[in-house]
Amino acid sequence: MIEFKNVNKWFGKLHVLRDINLEVPAGEVLVICGPSGSGKSTLIRCINRLEKFQKGELYVDGQPLHDHSINLTKLRADIGFVFQQFHLYPHMTALQNVTLAPINVRKMNRDEAEELGRRMLARVGLSDKADAYPAQLSGGQQQRVAIARGLAMSPKIMLFDEPTSALDPEMIGEVLDVMIQLAEEGMTMCVVTHEMGFARQVAHRVIFMDEGQLVETGKPDAFFDNPETERAAQFISKILTH
Amino acid sequence: MITNFNFRVVWEYMPLFMQGLRNTFLISLVSLILALAVGIIACGCRLSRWKLLRGLAIAYIESIRSTPLLVQIYFFYFGLPTLGLRVPELETGIIALMLNSGAYIAEIVRAGITSVSSGQIEAGISSGLSYFQRMRFIILPQALGVTVPPLLGQAIVLVKDSALLSLISVMELTRCGQELTSERFMPAEGFLTVAVLYLCIYYCLKPLAGWAQKKLIFREAY
Ligand SMILES: Nc1ncnc2c1ncn2[C@@H]1O[C@H](COP(=O)(O)OP(=O)(O)O)[C@@H](O)[C@H]1O
Ligand SMILES: [Mg+2]
Repeated sequence: MIEFKNVNKWFGKLHVLRDINLEVPAGEVLVICGPSGSGKSTLIRCINRLEKFQKGELYVDGQPLHDHSINLTKLRADIGFVFQQFHLYPHMTALQNVTLAPINVRKMNRDEAEELGRRMLARVGLSDKADAYPAQLSGGQQQRVAIARGLAMSPKIMLFDEPTSALDPEMIGEVLDVMIQLAEEGMTMCVVTHEMGFARQVAHRVIFMDEGQLVETGKPDAFFDNPETERAAQFISKILTH
Repeated sequence: MITNFNFRVVWEYMPLFMQGLRNTFLISLVSLILALAVGIIACGCRLSRWKLLRGLAIAYIESIRSTPLLVQIYFFYFGLPTLGLRVPELETGIIALMLNSGAYIAEIVRAGITSVSSGQIEAGISSGLSYFQRMRFIILPQALGVTVPPLLGQAIVLVKDSALLSLISVMELTRCGQELTSERFMPAEGFLTVAVLYLCIYYCLKPLAGWAQKKLIFREAY
């Protein structure tokens, strides 16, 4: 589904992705962790081409992203992206947030899209919030609307960039529950997160990044209990104590 | 003082004042509409990916904002003929007002557009919305609420600025006051009347600003 081959990316002089090789088959739930600034966001932002990269090859759903002539709209429509800061459209209701892309990108008619939108909001447990504006929702509810917005496009892949990091602790659970349910339904997911419980429960694989490199890959339990590299061990001890 | 104020002469000149009022209104309206077009185009260039367009827009906006309007008016009034362009006073004045307000409007519109967070735009990109769809559904509806009140403020400024066209003998409201002054030597009557008429325009525009504010600022929080 996703295949990185020697992908390299620079921001000016800063080498943020170094020779990334990674394959994510359909249906896999991949957790990406690593210290701040290690390039995790950049890595998943490459998958829907929010970031360009300068060297290497990247195939997503069979399409070569290093080829600049591919149809990005089509690619992006098939990939859901959930941001740390939600980024809902504040002038639209929850339902309008969810139906905007189905109506304008998928060319669905309004009734169909609203029916779909309500179904998606129900799926994240927010049937009663369809007409609420983002400012009227809690952080956890906003993030669930953002997930519903992604799901409404029937994506082949869902990308999450630290979806619970901006949330108060008591709201993390409700968002993780939605993500766990999604993982169990077989969605292909790449999740940047430090939520070890989530990783242990549903991830098929954890990758650890440091300074732009993919340092370690492993099954969640093996990775967290017996990391192979010194750097990963240090990182895990830090997230355990914090 | 009030006993010295000659209402008769004001009444006598009223048709002239009304004509001036009408001209000021029309000049301002036409200049504003043109300035909106100029401002939106300049703002588009200012935010463009192309360095050249960006550079031109910055040069235009900054040179207008850093020089007095009166100098700009004289620049066009005396400058254009030396380039061999004979443009009547009225059109010269409108060009000057249009270019002047256009630069301010470009910055107002830019502030509105950049007030929309880049995260929302990325969210739009991620779901496959095109540039125009993002503009139409995400950026403009939010930018409008931020933009319309200062735009109306600029409209009020434009009305007042149009008084400077009297100096290149355009028959607008201030010029009518000068007329009365020079024909009858009654500057108090002339300019007080003019001032009251400007005040009337202001009080017509002001409620519009309040109304737009209520109507357009989207209900973010209540
Ligand atoms: N738009 C950008 N321009 C320049 N440098 C950037 C940009 N985005 C991220 N970086 C830098 O790239 C590195 C990796 O960033 P990021 O992928 O956001 O890391 P992470 O998500 O792991 O914290 C950091 O050093 C960051 O400062
Ligand atoms: Mg990050």
